[in-house]
Parts: sequence; C-alpha cells; structure tokens
Amino acid sequence: MRSPARRGHNTDFYSGLLLVAVATVALLYIRTLSVGTVLEMGPGYFPLGLALVLLGMGLCLAIKGLFAEGSPIGSFHLRPLICILLSFTAFGVLVERAGLIIAILAQVAIAHFASVETRWRQSLVSGVLLAAASAVIFVWLLKIPVDLLP
Amino acid sequence: MTDVFALLGHGFAVAATPINLFFCLVGAICGTLIGVLPGLGPVATISLLLPATYALSPVSAIIMLAGIYYGAQYGGSTTAILVNIPGESTSVVTAIDGYKMAQQGRASEALAIAAIGSFIAGCIGTVVIALLGPPLALMTQQFASPDYFSLMVLGLVSAVVLANGSAFRAIAMIFLGLLLGMVGMDLNTGEARMTFGLVELSDGINFVALVMGLFGVAEVISNLEGASVRIVNKMRIGTIWPSFRALRGAWGAVLRGTALGTLFGILPGGGATIASFSAYALEKRVARDRSRFGNGAIEGVAGPESANNAAAQTSFVPLLTMGIPTSATMALMVGALTLHGIAPGPMIISRQPDLFWGLIASMFLGNAMLVIINLPMIGIWVRLLAVPYRLLYLAIVVICAIGVYSVNNSSFDVYMTVGFSALGYILRKLDAEPAPLLMGFVLGPTVEENFRRSLITSHGDPMIFLQRPISLALLLVSAALLISIMMPAVRQRRVEVFQE
Repeated sequence: MRSPARRGHNTDFYSGLLLVAVATVALLYIRTLSVGTVLEMGPGYFPLGLALVLLGMGLCLAIKGLFAEGSPIGSFHLRPLICILLSFTAFGVLVERAGLIIAILAQVAIAHFASVETRWRQSLVSGVLLAAASAVIFVWLLKIPVDLLP
Repeated sequence: MTDVFALLGHGFAVAATPINLFFCLVGAICGTLIGVLPGLGPVATISLLLPATYALSPVSAIIMLAGIYYGAQYGGSTTAILVNIPGESTSVVTAIDGYKMAQQGRASEALAIAAIGSFIAGCIGTVVIALLGPPLALMTQQFASPDYFSLMVLGLVSAVVLANGSAFRAIAMIFLGLLLGMVGMDLNTGEARMTFGLVELSDGINFVALVMGLFGVAEVISNLEGASVRIVNKMRIGTIWPSFRALRGAWGAVLRGTALGTLFGILPGGGATIASFSAYALEKRVARDRSRFGNGAIEGVAGPESANNAAAQTSFVPLLTMGIPTSATMALMVGALTLHGIAPGPMIISRQPDLFWGLIASMFLGNAMLVIINLPMIGIWVRLLAVPYRLLYLAIVVICAIGVYSVNNSSFDVYMTVGFSALGYILRKLDAEPAPLLMGFVLGPTVEENFRRSLITSHGDPMIFLQRPISLALLLVSAALLISIMMPAVRQRRVEVFQE
C-alpha cells in the first residue's frame, strides 16, 4: 500500500475537502450578515472568523493529503448506510401523514434490509411489537401529540 | 464542613423521593445494560434517551442520565471479564487480567472486586464532588468574560487531548462544531444566521438530532457493516462474594485507582478511559512481581475499574461548577441541562441546590443499587448477550426516530438526523472523531458571547485575554496542553495508549 497512488486518496485529503466545502457554504451565507468592527461586532463577525479558520485548516489538510501519503479511507458500506438513512426518511415522511404505526412498520421494513443477518419473520414480529409498544408508551403514557393511524 | 452535611442531607431528601429513586434505578439499569452490550456506548445511549428525559423534571433527568454513565462503568467490566469483550472503552484494560482470572476459574472473584472497587471509588468520588464543588463554583463566580472565554478554550483543548488520532484534525472538528453552533438567531441582534432560509433552523440546530445522528445512528450503521459476533459464554458463575484474602490483596489497588480516577475526572483532558489505562500502568509499576500482570492479577482489575468509576463521578465537577464539559458524555449533559433551560455553570450550586445536591446524593444511592444490580443478578445480564444485534438495531432505530421526532414534534428534525448520521458515518471513515465537534457545538454560543463581551469591555483590544491573570493562566495551561500532545514523545505514547 505504499504506492504513490495513495497521494490524494487518503483521509487527510478528503477530510480537508469536506471542511473546505462546509466552510465555503457557510461563507456564502455569512456574506449577507453584517460583520461590523472589533469595537462593534455584528452577527457575522464570529462566524466569519470561524469559517475562515476552517477554510484554512481544510486547505492545509487537503494539500497535505495531495502531497504526502496518509492513511487510506475506510471502506464505505453502502447497504447499511442507505437502508438506515432511508428508513429514517420514511419515518419522517409518514409519521404525520400516515400515523405512527405505519411509520414504524415502514421504518422497520426498510431497516430490515440494512443487515444481511435479519430474518423476515423475526423482523416482522419485532416491527409489530415495536409499533404496539410505542403506541402504548409514547402516545398513551407520554402523550406525544401524534396520530396512531391515518 | 457541617454545612456540607446539611446540604447533603437536603440532597438525600431530594434523591430519595420515589420518583427520583425510580429514575436513578432506571439509569443504573440502562447503564448496566449498555455496559454489558458491546457496540452501544454511553454516549450513544444517552443521546438516545435524551428525548425521553424531556418530560421529566430537570433533577430526575440528570439523575437518570448520570446513572447511565456510571452504570456503564459497572456493566462494561462484566463482559470484559467473562467473555474478553470490553463493553466500553473504559474496560479495555480490565479484560487483560479479568479474562485471565475467569479462565482460571476466578470469574466471581474478578466480578466482585470490579463491583466493590467501583462502589468504593464511586462513593469517594462523590464525596470529592461535594467537597470541591462549592468552593470551585465560588471561585468561578469571580470570573469575568475574558476569563470565561479562556476557560472555554481550555475546555475545547481538552477535547483535543481526548481525541484519538491527529490533533490537527481534532482541532478542525472543534471549529466545525463551533461553526455549527452559530446556526440560528444571533443573540444580540436577533438576526437569523446561516439558516438557509429555513424557519426550523432559527432556534439553531436541534441538539438531539445532531448527537443522535453523529453518535447513535452512525454507530448503528457501522455496527451493521460486518457479520456480528456471536458471544457464547461457557463460564459458570457461582455465588459472587469475594474471599477476604482476595479483598486484602486488592485493597491498595482500589484506593490507588480511586485517587488516580478522581484526579483524571476533574482535569481537562482526563476522563474515565485514560484514567483506567493509567491505573493499570500504575498497578504494574508498583507491583513487586510484574509478571503476574497479564496472568490474572487481581490488582489489574481492581485498579482500572475503580479508576474509571471515580473519574465518571468527578467529571461532573468541571461541568457543574464551571460549566465546561471535559468529555463527550459531559457535553451531552450540557445539552440535557440546556434542554431543561438550565445553563451549566457556577450558578448551578446556588440557584439549583436541588439539582446539585440531589445529583450527588443520587450517586451514592445509584452506586449502592449498582452493586446489587451487578452482583447477585449478574446471570441475567450475561444472558442478555444472547440477544442478537439483528433484533436490537431495529428497536434502536425506531426509538431513535420517535425520540428525535418527539422533541419538537417535527419531521424536519428527523431529516436533520438523517443528515447528521451521514456526516457521522463519513467522519468515521475519515478517522475524524465526532466528539470534539460535539464539544465545539455545545460551547459555541457561550464562546462567542464571552468573546464579544470581552472585546466590548476592552474597547476592541484583544490583549485583554493576556492581561487578566486568570485568563492568562488558563490560556497558558491550554497552550501547554496543546504543545504537549504535539510533542513527538507524547504523541507516540498517545498512539500506544489508544491502540492497546
């Protein structure tokens, strides 16, 4: 793993890139805020300073990553990542439109595919139990204002 | 002195109300549970349960969350000793000699000394909070804004010390956290900052969504990457009470571990994990026969286990007296207190005596409960290891989603959790720890406020931070800490400690 190909393809480079991206987006939005002076600091003063430091650190990391060898980035496992994130999104979309029970069942159904070890019968039972338990605990006992069914 | 006892008495009156006793017990049980289950740490669990504490009174909430934290120190040792899998990072060194003891048929002895050591350490650590808290808070009350600013800097530097891996990247993560903390309304002008025009962001980024995504959900996703480990426990555990001979052998180690842990808990950059590693190293150094270590030395269990629990208690000192969190867990406590409208800082002891003394008293009660939960009932916890992760994670994601949603009854917060989970997962892959980010996020608004106020009082002269003696001292300590971890020798040791 000591090949020069590692250059530009390591944790330093990508974390640098990530920081530069965040700082740039922040700077775009800070642009509209008044910065003020040291004596009379506006709402943009402190965030601007932070974003510039972040930009600088990000650039340093990215450049270091480009020219020096670093540790390789960990391998991404897309299946659990996408399934879990999707399951949350489904919950968010459904909870107010279709009620808590359907939202939970949908979330469990999608999350089921995140792991290769799940068995559908077990997941089904867990989903139903979780929905029932949540209905009792969160809606009846803790009185979260959410509909159970559409 | 009599004052402290009177106040402690008041604390016991608060902690012993049925409702607080109940939540102390819930916290202790939850803590033991997650301590036993590998792949679910206190940070993730506390973030999972944060929304649930929303409905409670602040006192009950903090009593329960604290119980989870120190309960995890008890539970973590159980799996470390029985199956050589440390449930928590704080029990990593316990596994070295603890598992050896179990293999030699001395499992019950190891478990007992771990629990008793933890209990003694927990009680002594709590006494230290009670004695040290009020004077420290009084001292901090004298602080002016420049001193506060420098204190926050010290708190943030401690996050760098705690982080695993490159210090430069940890500092970058702090700045990222600080920047995220700026999102929302500006305190002075009421102007919306970096909200992308979203009303939902005008109160700032939802703390629960941030921690749940970065710690809870991201952890679940990484746990699902590979095949899960099936844990089979073949060890038979009989009755768990140690022999007097064993107790006598471990006595010194318990006290040394307690002293070390108490100290490390209070110091910025300390914390329970480093405390347990240092305690192991110390035991090895003072032992007459070093070769026993690694082969089932009881001191190798007693020292670290006492140290991690003492540190878990005393790490509340900087939080409750000065308002600075010294670890990710303590940053979560800041979030929990803020959710309840309490600003952590020197005023807590005088303005919220119920909270401070109630929490301290609950620690005594909680530690006593934990000995009972852990010793006679250990069989139940071990059996829990048989629950496969494929069922566990489904429950975790559902509780996570409902929890985040219930804070503001807003789907937007659930989507925000999705975003932070993705960020948390990416950061893991990039070897960047999210803990410093959390510290920056939590401290961001206070840092800005004190920075702005300092410069207003000094008429724009930044030298004010160096002119006030307290501020100067704090900045010098911060600089010394930063330089020391950048030094090659220390760096090398840090790498070793984290890799062990």
